[in-house]
Amino acid sequence: MEKVKVMVVDDSRISRMMVSSMLAKTNFEICAMAENCAQAVALYAKTKPDVVTMDMNLPDEDGIECTSRIHAIDPKAKIIMISAMKDAKLIMRGRMAGISAFLQKPVSTNELIDTLMIMCKDNVGTVATYRESYVTTFAKVLQQTLMQVFGVQSEIEIAQNDETVLQVDGVAVVVGIVGEPRGRVALYMDSDTMFGLSKAMLGMNQEDDLSSEEAEAAIEEAGNIISGRGVSKVNDIFKDREMRVTPPGTIVGSDIVLSNPDLIAFNIKAKTPYGDVYMNVGFARGV
Amino acid sequence: MDVKLVNPFIDAFTTVLPQMGFPTPTRTGMSVKEKSATSLGVAVIVGFTKEIRGSVVYNMSEETAKFIASTMMMGMPVESFDEMAQSAISEMSNMLTANAATNLTALGLEVDISTPSLTVGADCQIKISNEQYLTIMMDVSGHAVEIDVAVQ
Repeated sequence: MEKVKVMVVDDSRISRMMVSSMLAKTNFEICAMAENCAQAVALYAKTKPDVVTMDMNLPDEDGIECTSRIHAIDPKAKIIMISAMKDAKLIMRGRMAGISAFLQKPVSTNELIDTLMIMCKDNVGTVATYRESYVTTFAKVLQQTLMQVFGVQSEIEIAQNDETVLQVDGVAVVVGIVGEPRGRVALYMDSDTMFGLSKAMLGMNQEDDLSSEEAEAAIEEAGNIISGRGVSKVNDIFKDREMRVTPPGTIVGSDIVLSNPDLIAFNIKAKTPYGDVYMNVGFARGV
Repeated sequence: MDVKLVNPFIDAFTTVLPQMGFPTPTRTGMSVKEKSATSLGVAVIVGFTKEIRGSVVYNMSEETAKFIASTMMMGMPVESFDEMAQSAISEMSNMLTANAATNLTALGLEVDISTPSLTVGADCQIKISNEQYLTIMMDVSGHAVEIDVAVQ
């Protein structure tokens, strides 16, 4: 997945740092930073960003003049104004110069990313954003939790789930996600993997006996921990996006189909010495 | 678990279904259960959280699920419980739980609901609580739908 290039034009070093830290864990990449209009025009020509964030007050020219100069080199340039001032007159002048979106400082991460996504929807789709910002986060948490809770190393693979159904033979822990976006996490594995991992979690030898009820409870707790930590990490990235998890539901049986017809879902597979652990992370469409 | 918390779910069921072209469902039973629920064939889990946390399961046979999906799709025949039918049952569960959430808000208990997770496969065990939960049996045109509600 190619990164979307962003150029930040702002005379304040703090403002530039803020934008760059907001985008640090996303699919957007800062390709250039300019502190005045002349630099912005030169860097635009050199780095060809996909989108520009523009401050109104620059030392040499204002942001609107700077926009006009960039449009003179590239009439299709996508420019967002981020300014302390946002009034009707400024918006009107800005629109005439070709600015497509206006945000007022201080900008929230959520607002900035949503605006960038809308402007660059040709470059970066919802699927890519979910994958980059959310699913990768869950994959890391899965790997860390497998290490911390079960003491196992794992190899992680992520795939977008083109199949609308998951085949479950063993145990599946389903944890709902509420907030924006809504969704759910399903952690599932076969019985052998469940027993292997839960004995490891409880510090037992593999030949020791463990009831299925206890093994299921151990996996349920792992599902609960992973979803809770995954959601907290995502909340950290999107500071005002408060997602929460619901209590887990645990499904046990053979030949169960877990269907998610209306979700954009990703399958994360962790290969462990006890068997493969799957986690499916899905979000409602149309967010 | 407080029995009054199930009324919002029963009210949602009896309000929402007639809006989708079903006759008004009737309640045929209610009981307190301890262990996991056993899937009748198609079971949908929806989680909720905020002022109260819990889960609800809509549990029915595949025949009932096909009947409901067909009625929701204006009487279109549903031969197999395919993706379209699964989507209809998921959507119904979503609407029922959203309506129940509105009813809970009226009791002063605001909740947010997750997306539904639909399972297909009879006899699998579904555990939504470590303690007791309530089961309500509803009848829709001779078809049985079990609603399991667990609140932490």
